[in-house]
Amino acid sequence: MTVARPPLSVPRFKPSALLRAASIHAFIIAMAFVTLFPFLWMVGTSLKPPKEVFRPGVHLLPTAPTLGNYATAVQRAPLGRFLLNGVIVSGSILVLQLLVIIPAAYAFARMTFPGRDLLFWLVLAALVVPGYVTAVPNFLLLSGWGLINTYPALILPFVGSAFGIFLLRQFFRQIPGEILDAALLDGCGAGRLVWHVLLPLTRPAIAAFAVFSIVTHWNDFFWPLVVIQSSHLYTPPAGIAYFADAEAGANWGVVMAAAVIVVTPLVAVFLVARRQFIESMAHVSIKG
Amino acid sequence: MLPAFVFLVLFKFGAVAYLIPLSMIDWMLGSTTRKFVGLGNYEKMFAAPEFWNALRVTAIYTAAVGTASIVVGLLLALAIRRAGRLQGAYQAAFFLPVAATMSAMAVVWRFIFDANIGVLNAVAVAVGLLPVDWLQTDHLALFAVILVGVWSNMGYAMVLFLAGLTTIPRELHEAAAIDGASAMQQFRAVTWPLLSPVTLFAVVIITLRAVQTFDSVKILTDGGPLGATQVLSRLLYRVGFQYFDAGYAASIAMVFFALLVVVTLTQMRAERLVHYQ
Repeated sequence: MTVARPPLSVPRFKPSALLRAASIHAFIIAMAFVTLFPFLWMVGTSLKPPKEVFRPGVHLLPTAPTLGNYATAVQRAPLGRFLLNGVIVSGSILVLQLLVIIPAAYAFARMTFPGRDLLFWLVLAALVVPGYVTAVPNFLLLSGWGLINTYPALILPFVGSAFGIFLLRQFFRQIPGEILDAALLDGCGAGRLVWHVLLPLTRPAIAAFAVFSIVTHWNDFFWPLVVIQSSHLYTPPAGIAYFADAEAGANWGVVMAAAVIVVTPLVAVFLVARRQFIESMAHVSIKG
Repeated sequence: MLPAFVFLVLFKFGAVAYLIPLSMIDWMLGSTTRKFVGLGNYEKMFAAPEFWNALRVTAIYTAAVGTASIVVGLLLALAIRRAGRLQGAYQAAFFLPVAATMSAMAVVWRFIFDANIGVLNAVAVAVGLLPVDWLQTDHLALFAVILVGVWSNMGYAMVLFLAGLTTIPRELHEAAAIDGASAMQQFRAVTWPLLSPVTLFAVVIITLRAVQTFDSVKILTDGGPLGATQVLSRLLYRVGFQYFDAGYAASIAMVFFALLVVVTLTQMRAERLVHYQ
């Protein structure tokens, strides 16, 4: 790296610096407006009475705001039921994932056993297999067990999370061995070691994985579409798509209100857990 | 240890292994007749214009969304770094599309693109342009789907770049500044070379996300008009779960899998080329 040296001079205030700062902010704000526009338009439209939705021209905000669309949306579609299904499915997936993943991640991080490295390579290989590739075989498997159109069909395929094993193993490896040795000397069994020593130390990692898992499965649209036929078992993404198709064209205000109801819970979770969420991804990217 | 592998074997490894025999039979889901056809499904696939079209659309979509998301994500990351106290709020704003439920937001986008009462056409008319039917005109529909793809991925790229930028030692920039390097020279000499591992990672992550796009296409255009936005995931869904042609769907899944393996191996090769500090 060679850069020509200018003659040393006394630093002066430069108007160009001010201009640059202003243009950077202008760029960010313009981009932020474009990025957030669909959210603003969704909320704005959801508050408009029907005749305003069809008014020509561009009007972000209603002149006579009303919550009527929300009342109509809740009457016409079992939105509460969709949200409940989302909680049941995402929650069950997360709990089962943690039960299954934590011991496996601990074994990979802290124990030596024959074939360990080969098995870990398999876990890494599983990371690149997306749901579309396994969709038909998994559908057939669940169908053979008579589970199509049930909650287990939405939950079971995701319990063995390769990503979770990979992520938690990273964290388990960073814990100083002395702590674990001390606990073992004190007569702590492997199970108690994991639950009472390891887990408190890796709470941030588990929280990061939890957020990631909930977001992924709450938002999943493809799998419910494949294994669920009755609308009362739909999770929010499938529910809103189904509702939008049923109402298309006539009642955009009502559809937007339903979209707001579906989007809000996760957006709230994201805003609360933003730092954890973003840090977990950063961690995976830098160390992965 | 064991339970984790039971689930992985059943729903991942076993499923992938099962694709091989499955792709060699002619079987309609729900019917009792299965016929061994060898490589017949693959012959059918390679002879089908719809397959090549899906491959082409997926390639165009992935290249466009990947490139634009990486470029915009990097620009946002560089700009936000200088945004001072508002950094957190801006980060949240740009990341929101990644976290928000895509299927609901795709419904919102469908309304925005609507030919009759969509706001995009309303803006076009207001500035004196002609309204167009975004989702029913083939090249416009692909453009619309790509736009939504960039919107939902650029925040992800931005977060990865921000993480990468924080690992660059401040002294390097200070040293370059003392040597009188301009902002552009600093970027080219310090920032960009040191960001290359993160850039590679971001390219892989965004590519894998883009290749697997389904929700926005299904809701915005359902693969139409006339296959103009028919990405591979949508073709697989159609063949497997609307035509119930299990064998044919399995052969498409095999190609899908092969594509992802190629992307991943390319990444591993590239890993050796980028220099870590």
